[in-house]
Amino acid sequence: MADLIQIAAGNFLSPMVLFFALGVAAGYVQSDLTIPEPISKALSLYLMLAIGFKGGVALASSGIDSMVAVALTVAIGLSLFLPVIAFSLLRAVTSLDSRNAAAIAAHYGSVSIVTFVAATSFLEYRQVPYEGFLVAMLAVMETPAIITGLLLARRSLGQASSDRESVFSPQVLRQVFLCGSVVLLAGSFMIGWTTGDGGMQIMAPLLKEPFQAVLAIFLLDMGLLVGKRLGDFGQVGKQLVMFGIYMPLIGAAIGMAAAAAIGLSVGGITLVAVLAASASYIVVPAAMRLSLPQANPAIYVTLSLAVTFPFNLAVGIPLYHAIAGMIGPA
Amino acid sequence: MQLHPKKRIEIVVEASCAPSILEMIEAAGAKGYTVLQDVSGKGNRGIRDDSHLTDVFRNVLIIVIATEEIAHEIINNSQPLLENYAGIVTMSDVDVVRDEHF
Repeated sequence: MADLIQIAAGNFLSPMVLFFALGVAAGYVQSDLTIPEPISKALSLYLMLAIGFKGGVALASSGIDSMVAVALTVAIGLSLFLPVIAFSLLRAVTSLDSRNAAAIAAHYGSVSIVTFVAATSFLEYRQVPYEGFLVAMLAVMETPAIITGLLLARRSLGQASSDRESVFSPQVLRQVFLCGSVVLLAGSFMIGWTTGDGGMQIMAPLLKEPFQAVLAIFLLDMGLLVGKRLGDFGQVGKQLVMFGIYMPLIGAAIGMAAAAAIGLSVGGITLVAVLAASASYIVVPAAMRLSLPQANPAIYVTLSLAVTFPFNLAVGIPLYHAIAGMIGPA
Repeated sequence: MQLHPKKRIEIVVEASCAPSILEMIEAAGAKGYTVLQDVSGKGNRGIRDDSHLTDVFRNVLIIVIATEEIAHEIINNSQPLLENYAGIVTMSDVDVVRDEHF
């Protein structure tokens, strides 16, 4: 227990979390501090490229075995299944209508790439190894939840036939299969896997040393966005804010059980917990805005970006890691 | 110089809705359009300037210049598309130099 507190405190005082906190504070008091959009976009592309490439290289050196296929199946399963739990909980304990509940549920099956990246940086700092294919799990978890969310919405929308058809528009399907972050993650993963350690030698000066610092700058930007969203808490309501905290814990517990069952390392269990706990705030909101336009984006974006993301970043990652250490292989 | 009267339509709309509006504009027969990314402002959905991360809180400005007939079709077709989205649609009279471009 003392260890856990120490790890959590250490995580609180990392530059990443502190820059994030700075951003939240500055955004909340409406400082004119901003990171220009193209730069923020470039930082996020960098993070995706780096994490994808590193994962591919790690897989090239560890080699591929049946575990990879099992792990990917588990990942897709989690992404498809977690929204069902989220939806049932939301309908049971809150007064949300089914469209908003389905939209929120889809966010919780999908993942937050930045939370994952922060967790890998947490593990690397503590020299805890993790399996390279975890990055592939990240990539395949991003979009299946959209399909579950839309099916849940369609089922509860009943017989209004025009609504039923428009839920799966070609635009949404394109987003599910060809969304930019999935293409970049999967693509750099394949390039890293193909080129292996030789490729890493070429990319290392850009991808290895600056990685943590770039992450810290990106988290400053995330903090600014979160700070601005804090004003929408009133619309979200206390019940939903609570959901934004206990849903990641439920997701993490399911993720950890699945990861331990297929025999992942402590680092791997931690990361699967993070994947199952995190909620999307880029890909899924865009898809939900198109498919369920009546659902309120101020609710679902605020919940995943301003409640669940900070919770996972500050508390979730060290917590999941501590539990993974207890249940994982020695 | 000879000028030709046309209609100019401006549509401020949230970014995630823009592709379907642009598709509709082309289907209506307009020969082109201009899109200004990241416009910010305030309206009945509050301040809209969060251009980062997600398109959900971002607005774009679409400008179309077309003949009166096509312009009216665009205006009519825009309303069902905008039902659940932030959107401002205006039409004004303009004169263009190169008639064959519009």
